[in-house]
Amino acid sequence: MTNILATVFQPFTYPASEPVYTDNASIWHHMSDALHQSLYRVLSLLIAILPGILACFVALAVFTLIGMVLSAFLRWALTAAKFDDRLTRARGSAEWTPSTSPTALIARGAFWACVLLGLLIGVSAFDVSYATGAPLPISLLPYLTHAVGAIFLLIAGTLIARFLARSVLIGAVNAQLQYARFLSLGVKWLVLVLTAAMVLDHLQIGGEIVSLAFGILFGGIVLTLALAVGLGSRDLVSRSLESHVERTDRAAVSTNPAGNSADSIRHF
Amino acid sequence: MATADPMPDVTSAAPPATGSLLVLLAAMPTEQLETAVEKLAAAFPGENLLIAAPDGFAASAWPELQFVPTPQTGTSWTLTAADFAHACQLSQKHESRGILLLGQEAGSLSAADLRGLADAVLTSGADLAIPRYDLPPHAGLVNSAILYPLTRALFASRARYPLAIDLGLSRRMAERLGSVAQRYTSLNQGDALLWPVNEAVAAGFAISEIDAGPRTLPRPTDPDISAILPHVAGSLFSDIDARAAFWQRPRQLPPARPPLPLNSEADEPADIAPMLDAFRLAYTNLQEIWSLVLPPNSLLGLKRLAVVEAPAFRMPDNLWARIVYDFLLAYRLRTINRGHLLGALVPLYLAWVASHLNTAASGTSPERHVEAVAAAFEADKPYLVSRWRWPDRFNP
Repeated sequence: MTNILATVFQPFTYPASEPVYTDNASIWHHMSDALHQSLYRVLSLLIAILPGILACFVALAVFTLIGMVLSAFLRWALTAAKFDDRLTRARGSAEWTPSTSPTALIARGAFWACVLLGLLIGVSAFDVSYATGAPLPISLLPYLTHAVGAIFLLIAGTLIARFLARSVLIGAVNAQLQYARFLSLGVKWLVLVLTAAMVLDHLQIGGEIVSLAFGILFGGIVLTLALAVGLGSRDLVSRSLESHVERTDRAAVSTNPAGNSADSIRHF
Repeated sequence: MATADPMPDVTSAAPPATGSLLVLLAAMPTEQLETAVEKLAAAFPGENLLIAAPDGFAASAWPELQFVPTPQTGTSWTLTAADFAHACQLSQKHESRGILLLGQEAGSLSAADLRGLADAVLTSGADLAIPRYDLPPHAGLVNSAILYPLTRALFASRARYPLAIDLGLSRRMAERLGSVAQRYTSLNQGDALLWPVNEAVAAGFAISEIDAGPRTLPRPTDPDISAILPHVAGSLFSDIDARAAFWQRPRQLPPARPPLPLNSEADEPADIAPMLDAFRLAYTNLQEIWSLVLPPNSLLGLKRLAVVEAPAFRMPDNLWARIVYDFLLAYRLRTINRGHLLGALVPLYLAWVASHLNTAASGTSPERHVEAVAAAFEADKPYLVSRWRWPDRFNP
């Protein structure tokens, strides 16, 4: 019993060949080093680009302020010079609302030109400061600049898609195509898919997969539309050709097409 | 009648011919030209008349008339900015007191009509003489639906055909229109439409409407209504937009003239089914766009119309007036792209045409219906003025 207890309560000793405490300390030490180095790199980068960021904001703020002052001055000067009235006299009877008067447009243009200039100068300053910190391996900032471009692409693509979809819808409805909405949706999604592919490509996400998927989707939509329109409008095309031939024949036979009921309606 | 060069070179070694009345003939086929010249010869026998006819016209057949050859390369079914610029330049050159602008198919006008147009500007002191054609109920429908009601309501003019194909102009009216036209021609937009009635009213000039008889209307080069209606309506909307400060003031409408006798030329009822199909198709597809332009009340009215059977199809006059006003407001505010906006108006216009033809077929005089529509436009003018000034106000 004494032996047993002695065995149980004897101090536990590790074999000399397994230095566990020593290795744990080493891992923590390495992790800590890695974290410190990473933190150091990020802080160094931030310190390197901080003046650039500040310069960007300062330039933007200063030029916005200048733009506001210039805009107010132009508005005052042009109003005092009765610029709108003079232009109206020169153009004849042209009149405009206060929000779209030439004075307002010029003042607004001057303001936005200043803002744009400030933005350009700010971005240029940021670019210079970032170039100094560029050797530091961090890929987030270039990615952010790509993201800005991608957002512009997305907005432009969405606007173009909506515009084209409406154009097609109205044109198809006025041409009395029964599948006008389907056609419009097809065009809209074609442009949206194209936009999405361009955005992903710009963001360098997906690589070849995006191109492949885009090709398949785009081709699929075009094929679907072609089949739908081709099969659905066979009658329409034949009717259109027939009516064209009939019109030509009528014109050849008689110069007065008022006998036909449909032709007797004259919009002008 | 559009000309490629609004300031053609008509100089010659001889001094320019002068005439108290200058007649500018549109480019048209030779047979039509000959008929028009014959009518002119009959209307103005032995008078000091100067006719500007397209180059190459055999003028020797009428030795009693003076001709001025004018280079005309383009053709248009109605008068354009280039025509007005040309007329102004010729009237200044030949020192004419009055100008008669005659469009294609002018030979279908009687000699008395031509005389009436000329007399209005030469002897009656009018600056703008505009004909009131005697057209069948199925003709001139855009005039009846949009141009006449809008011009009457906003510019207080009873000119029945604001987009007339023939006009009589005084010298000062020609100069005014010429200066407006010059702005377009200098921008290479010679085919732009001008609105002489609006111009004359804004200038405070006298307008005289002459009862002309039946007239054969020239066919537009592109008869597709979905192409031509946006062009014409867009031009009028733009003109109205430019004169907002003028038409917002209330004005007294001149007294009504006796209605024209019913033209029975087209008794055959027109087939309205394709127009109703176009409207119903548009109702199912264009609601999203219409809802950006029209208030809920008008959309409800259209919803009711979409389920009405063809024989009972009638678009209320006040609904049509409100629709046109809302499209005009959306045009001004650029609520949506202007091309889309005017394209979306086409099916609604076709619905009005179907309703008008149904009304005419039911025995109501078409002219009376058009007058009722114009009266609805007048009654609803405060709505337009109010929303023009305060577009963001609540609009049920």
